[in-house]
Parts: sequence; C-alpha cells; structure tokens
Amino acid sequence: MADEDRADAARPGTVGPGAPQSRRRRGAGRAPGDPRNIGWLYVLPGLAFYLLFTLAPLLHTVYYSLFDWDGLTEKTWVGLDNYSEALRDSVLRDAFLHTAILIVYYAVLPVIIGLVLTAALTRSAIRGFRFFRTTLFLPQLIAGVVIAQAWIWIYASDGPLNRFLEVIGLESLTRPWLGDFTWALPSIGAIGSWVTFGLCMVLFIAGVQKIPTSLYDAARVDGAGAVREFFAVTLPGLRGEILVAFVLTTINALRNFDIVYNTTAGGPGGETMVPSMYMYQNAFLYNRVGYAAAIATVLAIAIFLLAAIVLRVGDRSERT
Amino acid sequence: MKRRLLGVLVVLACTLLAATAGAYAGKEATTTLTMWSYDNQDPGLEPVLKQLSKEFEKSHPGVKINLVFKSFNDLVGTVPRALASGSGPDVTEGNQGYQTDAQLVKAKLILPLTKYVKKYGWDKLYAPSTWGMFRWTPDGKQFGKGPVWGIAQTGQNVVAFMNRKKLVAAGVNPNKLPTTFAGFERMLAQLRAKLPDDDPVIFAGNKEGYGFIHLFGGIWGAHVKAQSVRNWIYHVPGSRYDTPGTIKALGRLQAWGKAGYFNDDFNAVGNDASAGEFAKGKGAMWIGGDWDSTIIREGLGAKNVIVMPVPPGPSGVWTSIGGLSGPWHISAKTKYPDLGAEWLNYVITSPRAKALMYANQQIPSDRRAKAPKGDPYLAQVTRAFQLVANDDGLLLYTDWASPSMYTTLQNQFQLLLAGRTTPAGMAKAVQDDWAKFHKTLAG
Repeated sequence: MADEDRADAARPGTVGPGAPQSRRRRGAGRAPGDPRNIGWLYVLPGLAFYLLFTLAPLLHTVYYSLFDWDGLTEKTWVGLDNYSEALRDSVLRDAFLHTAILIVYYAVLPVIIGLVLTAALTRSAIRGFRFFRTTLFLPQLIAGVVIAQAWIWIYASDGPLNRFLEVIGLESLTRPWLGDFTWALPSIGAIGSWVTFGLCMVLFIAGVQKIPTSLYDAARVDGAGAVREFFAVTLPGLRGEILVAFVLTTINALRNFDIVYNTTAGGPGGETMVPSMYMYQNAFLYNRVGYAAAIATVLAIAIFLLAAIVLRVGDRSERT
Repeated sequence: MKRRLLGVLVVLACTLLAATAGAYAGKEATTTLTMWSYDNQDPGLEPVLKQLSKEFEKSHPGVKINLVFKSFNDLVGTVPRALASGSGPDVTEGNQGYQTDAQLVKAKLILPLTKYVKKYGWDKLYAPSTWGMFRWTPDGKQFGKGPVWGIAQTGQNVVAFMNRKKLVAAGVNPNKLPTTFAGFERMLAQLRAKLPDDDPVIFAGNKEGYGFIHLFGGIWGAHVKAQSVRNWIYHVPGSRYDTPGTIKALGRLQAWGKAGYFNDDFNAVGNDASAGEFAKGKGAMWIGGDWDSTIIREGLGAKNVIVMPVPPGPSGVWTSIGGLSGPWHISAKTKYPDLGAEWLNYVITSPRAKALMYANQQIPSDRRAKAPKGDPYLAQVTRAFQLVANDDGLLLYTDWASPSMYTTLQNQFQLLLAGRTTPAGMAKAVQDDWAKFHKTLAG
C-alpha cells in the first residue's frame, strides 16, 4: 500500500478530479480518469448470475409466450394469440381484481398499522421495545407454507378463531372462513396484513431515528400534540420509507402464490384465484406452457407499471 | 476473494466427484430398475409393492428394484419432464385422462403394451369396456381407442359407507336397505328427520374439490346411461354434459344440500379427513372412495359398517364413479422394457400379489380375483366393486375429460352447493370447458 502511494506521488499531474488514485494503477494506453476495463471483471460474477438466472429466464418466458406449447412436444408459433386470449379471459380478469383487493390488505393496511405502531413505539420509551420490534417482525421471517398451515388451523371450523367468537357470544359469526365464498378472500388478505406489517414497522422505526429531534422539539415548543406532531413531523419525515414499503408490499401482493396455494388453491368457486396461481395451473396442470408464459409476462408488466406509478407519485409529492 | 474462489473450486470438485461416483455406481454388475408410484396413501399399496419387489429381486438374481414413492401431485407434475430427460423412472404410474397420459403418449415417452398384453394374457384381467381407460391413439388425441399403454393394480369405487347403529336408531332396517335411487332418497329424508340437527346425514369433505366430483357419481348414474358418461370422457363427438338427465341429477345434489344433508363446513374439510370424522361417529353416512375403507373399519368397527354403492335409477344398472388405480407405464427410454413388464405382471396378476392386496384391504383389479373367506367387511367392499363392475357401470373419473376439467368441476360444484349457480348453469359451464378442449383435438 505504502509503495503504491509513493508510486503515485512520483507521477504528479496524473491525479485529476473524478479519478481516484486507486483507479490509475496498471492502466496501459488509457486516458487518465477513464473507467478501467478491469471493473467489468469485478462485476462479472454478479452480472453473469443476473444474466443467467434473471434476465435470460425472463426473456425466455417472453419467447415461450408467443407459442402454443405443452412443454414437451413441438411448439407452434401463434404470435400474440396468447395475449389476446389473456385479455378476453374472465378468470384472469377476476384474478387481477382479487389482487387489487389483496393490495389493500397487503400494502395499504400494513403501512397504516406500521405507522400507528411506529408512532406508539417511538413517542415514549417503552419497556421491552426491542422485544416488541423483534416479535412483530417475526412473521416476515417465516416460510409461506408454515404461515399458511398455521392460519388454516386458526381459521378451521373448530379452530381458535371460531372458538373465540363462541366464547364471547358471537356464535352467529362463526364459519369455515377459508371455505366461505364471501370471507375466503378477506381471510387470505388478513394473513397478508399480518405478514407484512412488521416489515413496514421496522422500516418506519429506522426512518424515524433519522428525523432530527430538533424538529420534534420545535413542534412541542409550538404546542403541537401527539397527533399534530405525527402529521407535521413524523409523516413527512418518513415519506421515503413509506414509498419503499408501498413498493415492496404491493409487489408482494401481486406475486402472492404460496399463501393462496397452501390455503385455498384458488377456491371456493374461484373466489381466491390470483394471477400466479392461474399461471401455475396453466403451466403444470393444463399443459399450456405458452399461455402460462403470457400470463407471467402480463403479471411482470403489471408489477413494473405499478411500482413505477408508486415511485412516480412519491417522487412528485416529494418535490412539492 | 482468493479464499472464496478456493471455496467455489472445492464445491465444484466435490460435485464433479459425486457425479462421477454416481455414474459408476450405476454401472455395477446389477441391473437396477427404478419405479415411481404415488400409491402410498394411508398406507395404500406401498407395503404390497415393497414386499413383492423384494420377492422379485430374489427370483431374479442381479436385479435391483428401486421403488420411489411420491405424492400424487408431485409425481404427476414431474413425471413428463423426468421421462423426457432420459434419467427418469423405467416404470412409472401416470394418470388416466388428457392431463397426463395423453401427454406421455403424444410425446412418445411411454411404450404401447400390446406385446405384453399378448405375452402375459393380460386381456382377461378386465372387461373390454374397462380397457378403454388405457387406450389412446398414438397422437394422444383419441381416448378409449387405439393401443393399450397402461395396466393397473387395483379396482377403485366410490360407495356409501353407513353407520349401522345410526341407521337402526333412525328406524332404518339394515337388512332391508333400498335397492332403488328413489328408495335411497327416502331413506336420506328419514335420516334427516330422525338425526339430531347438528349431525349431518352425509359427512362430506370437499376441501381438495374431488369430494363432490366423486359423491355426485351415484346420483348421476341413476339419471343417465353409464356409457354416455364414458363417451363424454372419451370425447366421442356429439357427447354432451348439459343433458336433461345430468341437469336433473345436479338438481338432486343441490336439493340434498338445501335439505341440510351435509355438514356445512364441507369446503373446509379434506376428503380423507372427512372419512376420519365419519369413522369417529360423525354423520350417518360417508360417500367416497373405497381406498379409505381401512380407516373407517378401524374407527367404527367392521361389524358396524354397511358398504354399498348408491342404488340405481329406473334402468336398474348399478353405477359409481370409479375405475382402476393409476396406470403403470413402461418408459420409452428404459433399457429393460421386458424386465419392467415382467415385474408388472408379477405385482398385478400373480396369486401372491392378489393375496397381499387383499391382506391390505385393496381390491385386485383382476375381475376374477376372489376375496378371502372369513372377512365379511372386505367381502362387502369387494362385492360393492364387483356389483358395479359386472353391470358395466363404472363411470370412470369425470376430471379425465380435459386438462382443466378438475378445476372447472371443483369450482362449479362449490358454486352449485352454495346456491350461486343453477344446475343448468353448471352443466353449461362444464360443457363449455369440454367443448373448448374438444376443438383442440380436432386440429
């Protein structure tokens, strides 16, 4: 290290702005300040993995979506037929509609719950703060299959939820939650809220710690109460975190598969069908790999669009 | 960085080493045959296959049978790609119908068994109409026609299991049970009137969706001809689901639901689990697959259970949803097709195989097989199967009719029983699925 420093010092004049010293070593025939090609070597492993395992399958999927293919025998080129079928497919339309409802449970509710908890946990010192923070974040760390099994048990006809309702005298409300036409989708949504609110809360708590305490002091001097303080200081200070939380949870809602597959598999009567579940059925049960690929592509585009919209809206409100 | 690279190299080297070791292990003097099966339910045929394979190894020195058991969904979901890869099983179970077997035939992944049917005299095992479920034209488009591609081990039948004590308590004479569908419905009404309100007449479990697909078979067969159902499954042109008979039958099922014959949480209870609940004393009746007969026998006691198919309609023909167990296929890529066929012949047709199947409460598919004496319960289950099989009344499984039929029926039965669709509406939706797939077969 010391040797290299001396070597740099021995060649004055090559040090320019934007050209950190470390970049100049071993470069031959290259203008000073140019990015060195060796940089590519450093990112190569990551890039190779990205190309091989993310980009290539993505493009492959788009390619398959242009064929009528059962996954085994000859493919037949059908152009955009799969997409026009997807546009007309009422099952797929319902699936996206269900997802729109699930976004309320997976994104909107967790952000609101996360904000309320953040306000409660950060305003005054609470005994066992770390314990609460860790426990509330735990659902985020559990595998989807395990979560599904646990909630199947909770929702079962003779499960704890119905038992609880019976005990408090609300026996008329008991029902087989996941088998009920009206309640199956909200029941799955509630699982989603339970899983994601911890993530939002942890994001927000971290965000609050970046807000200068002087702002709170100023608010208090101005006579703001807890509510006023929250809306005037905490909420604007957390704009970035709320945005990130929205993007993450919305994507979670859109690609939701494990919870649905393991609890209702799309039933009863298709009431909880979501796009990823429908894609799985087409690819592995109906032998329609081409159509499944088209659904996957539509879903990916929907995710990109929604994420872009959320970020755009957030961006704009940040500037005003 | 260097250390990490070293780590990667070590891992790579180990993988290579393991791979070569695996390859060499396969080249030992012994011949290894790999068989895939999903018959490991509770415990199903698993002990039978294991025992018979051991005996087969003994009589064939140098041969090793590698039995691999997977869940039904795992096996059906992976077997086409496993066979295509060339490193899949030598002999495997598939599944009758357009979802799996049609694929295997069309992609030339399995061998026609014509040669072996002749060699071993397999044609005598089943009635000619039963063989339809193993026949496909080589393009995988026509079901029920063409060469035979599979052979099955056991018979399967959806029948009514009844709790004798509860029948007697409700005033039903267990020695004079109804022999017509109308009489059966009168008995159900009588049971509903006499049983406590919170005890269902029929304990149902439809969580996976096949509970009502199966249960409906007996009602359906009382209203339509068995052959018309099979034709519809085989995609014989002009076949329809939305016939007056089927719509009337769907109406009866809906009426059973409205009359409170079922437990109200049937969509949340698994089918095997519902058999377990019935075995614990819930409900007066359970209508489902005879593969669950062991759990019911253990719960209620052999003497307290009556087994019979849902009785016939005006035609007098006994029918039920049922057929034979999963079809065994020989891989088109195996090096030992003859040996595979010999193993199949041993585990399906040998007297030893039949004895072991009966000992495990499974009905051999061979229609000539006689149940051992001294076991009245097993005799009841066998009689129920043979009653239907000999009347040519096995309706097969409705979901074989198209790759998406299972999901369509699952959804439609749930909608029908929730009162969210009409019998005619359901019949149309099911026929639409059939017609949509039928179009792809013409091309």
